[in-house]
Amino acid sequence: MSQATATTAQEPNLWGGGRSPFNVSYGKMMMWFFLLSDALTFGAFLISYGTTRFFSAVWPDANTVFKSFPFLEGHNLPLVFVSLMTFILIMSSVTMVLAVHAGHYGDKKSVATWLLWTIIGGIAFLGCQAWEWTHLAGECGGLWGTFTNVNTPVHEYQQFFNMENKEVANMLHTQPLVAMQSTHNFFNYFFTITGFHGGHVTSGVIFNILMLVNTVNGTYERRGHYEMVEKIGLYWHFVDLVWVFVFTCFYLL
Amino acid sequence: MSSHANNDNIQALYEGDQSKLYSGVMSHHSDVESTESKTQIKKIWKVFWVLLAITIVEVFIGMQLSHSVSREILAFVYLSLTLVKAGFIVYVFMHLGDEKKNFMVTVLIPLVLFVWFIIAFLADGSFWLHMNDTSKARDHGTEQIAK
Repeated sequence: MSQATATTAQEPNLWGGGRSPFNVSYGKMMMWFFLLSDALTFGAFLISYGTTRFFSAVWPDANTVFKSFPFLEGHNLPLVFVSLMTFILIMSSVTMVLAVHAGHYGDKKSVATWLLWTIIGGIAFLGCQAWEWTHLAGECGGLWGTFTNVNTPVHEYQQFFNMENKEVANMLHTQPLVAMQSTHNFFNYFFTITGFHGGHVTSGVIFNILMLVNTVNGTYERRGHYEMVEKIGLYWHFVDLVWVFVFTCFYLL
Repeated sequence: MSSHANNDNIQALYEGDQSKLYSGVMSHHSDVESTESKTQIKKIWKVFWVLLAITIVEVFIGMQLSHSVSREILAFVYLSLTLVKAGFIVYVFMHLGDEKKNFMVTVLIPLVLFVWFIIAFLADGSFWLHMNDTSKARDHGTEQIAK
């Protein structure tokens, strides 16, 4: 940023005190460090998922598990619904960064408008996730702790596997319980990780609603800056960032 | 020391107006219609189209090629595209590219730990599978393995 370099040139003693050596406010820096720790948490979840997947001889196939779309039951539409969810979240990230941008210019009306769009995007995403969870738990019978009974007939979980692959089909035929164990692990990780992410989206929506109220009430205008929008913006983008990785790990790989 | 002389002054800075502590958001740009502002908005939308295009490519690969191309190549392509997306989000949307270099480094360096985490844990996972495949446990029946 040009302002940053201008300040540095004025004061050569960067760590001499009296100002931020990083040229950021305390709150913003702490938001970055919080996000760093949150990244390690999500990373631990995803790596744990990866480890479990690596030691499983077979694993449910994303194209087979995620193939449904609301109101189009019975059609085989792999990845279409999750693409819509991804689009909604990327879009809400754009509206958030536009709110941050408007905040830099003290443009109260634009900040309020873009925050509102971000809230709508967040709620739409949560709605999609609610549908997906309901669908998986209802019609597919998968939730935390499901598929543990050794007497479960194979046809109840072979729908999650790519049976066109001969190796996979053979595995399900000869060792169905290995596949059932994988199904159990898959759903545990799926609901834990997307649930944790959904929890982040929910709190992000709540923060955005609070900020919208503050913006409309003129709290930030009186304060003289919209830094709160920038800080929550960081959080919101991070949630989008996590989704990028969740999307890759669960739906693509 | 000269800093003692304006101690009160510094105190006031921390508790009140912080605009002299950092410039970042405090520096008021006044005109939202300025060319600088419009260039920035244009950049944001450009990044949106890039992210959308990458996602469409990923979904296309997932739908059309995921059963015909080898898993290693797919994993490499997906992870590369994911990292490109992540880079755009962090650099432009989160404005990390606009921060001072030493702050950028401070935030990014701890993430290098992930390189080791991923290699170590996935290697352990595949070793477990290897042991499982070669052990006698399998011959005794599938119940034990599945348990």
